[in-house]
Amino acid sequence: MTFKEKIESNQFIVCGEVGPPQSCDGDVIRSKSKYFKGYVDAVNITDNQTATVRLSSIASAKILLDEGVEPIMQMTCRDRNRLAIQSDLLGAAALGIRNVLCLTGDHQTIGDQPEAKGVFDLDSIQLIATVSEMNRGFLLSGYEMKTATAFLIGAAANPFAEPFEMRLIRLHKKIEAGAHFIQTQPVFDLEIFTRWMERVVEMGLHEKTAILAGVLPVKSPKTLLWMKKEVPGVKIRDEYIHRMRDASDPEEEGVKMAVEIIQTLRNIKGVRGIHLMPAMWESITPTIIKEARLNTTN
Amino acid sequence: MLKDFVSFNMPPITAKERRFSRLLLFFEDIVKVPLFRCQHCGECILSSTAFICSQNCPKRLRNGPCGGTGEDGSCEVYPERKCVWYKIYYRSKLLNRMSLLYKINKIHNYNLERTSSWLNVFRKRIDPPMWFVRNDKQKVKDLISDDVQRKD
Repeated sequence: MTFKEKIESNQFIVCGEVGPPQSCDGDVIRSKSKYFKGYVDAVNITDNQTATVRLSSIASAKILLDEGVEPIMQMTCRDRNRLAIQSDLLGAAALGIRNVLCLTGDHQTIGDQPEAKGVFDLDSIQLIATVSEMNRGFLLSGYEMKTATAFLIGAAANPFAEPFEMRLIRLHKKIEAGAHFIQTQPVFDLEIFTRWMERVVEMGLHEKTAILAGVLPVKSPKTLLWMKKEVPGVKIRDEYIHRMRDASDPEEEGVKMAVEIIQTLRNIKGVRGIHLMPAMWESITPTIIKEARLNTTN
Repeated sequence: MLKDFVSFNMPPITAKERRFSRLLLFFEDIVKVPLFRCQHCGECILSSTAFICSQNCPKRLRNGPCGGTGEDGSCEVYPERKCVWYKIYYRSKLLNRMSLLYKINKIHNYNLERTSSWLNVFRKRIDPPMWFVRNDKQKVKDLISDDVQRKD
């Protein structure tokens, strides 16, 4: 069952995430594919996350595809103008990549090469609209292509950043532009997330798109503290930090916490699946899926 | 539709018009730079952003804030600044212009950079400003209920 069919069906969806290496070693991704095969429905491939140069997401997606794992290619607007975006999307479609997650991208100043010029020719909503148009067979110039692309379009949402209502407006715009599925930022504050989901259900947005809640298993309290301090737009409740600090085995506690969050998320109305994003800890994915008893069919 | 978010078939900017545009821009700047910190994008959307220039955003976003706004509404790039879209949201609420935030703004036409947006409105290159919004709350409700109806 492909990811697209799964989104259209009514089953619970599980996505993974893999960060490409900071080198040309494709075997790193090949070896990581075993953590996902048979466990998750699709795997996100980050596109120079936190504005740090990495192996390109298109190449990594192709490597995963060859390994038999369905990739979700991330596409950011930071590094490409509209010409490069469209040409890269056509290239990806030609290589057999069927899912694309449209993001604005982190600003270059938070990365390792802050001197770089940020492009931001389009923003994420305009990028979603562009991909929708390409699916209808048109480029931004108005040129009608002989073959239209058939991308499944994803978008991101951050329920935890301020202002709360503006995030719903953004979600509304993204769905209007043509997003088929939405992945949220990692949930470390279930209260805000529940409130956000209630509003999403109220607006009827959950029926027009598949909302996948982000879950981020952590290895140590240090990671949590770092995220709270350095990663913009992430809200972490102090109780999680205390729990990690008091645990005798932080790794085990991290898995337990993630499983607990998943169980709660499953029971929230409107949540169609989860998006597991263990930052640089991909090997934990199978364990969490087994512990949370998420049935994956493929 | 494609033409809803990208500019098409625009009248070309002639050399003569460019000179006139420069003259108009001088007067436009006198108003817009001190009042709105205008960034001369030439495709003014001030009326739909509650009269705060969205182009002061480091990412120059035209469709709402990125995911990096801090708890106190700070910008992810310059933490000492407030996020432009954070300000736009609260001003829109104050001025009852929330329904305009639901509109998807067009992809920016970089040919219009440093041209007079007044002239561009007159030459129908960009959408005219929306000065008054009536029944804002009802409009927002309609926008949301449209969605609920469309899915049936």
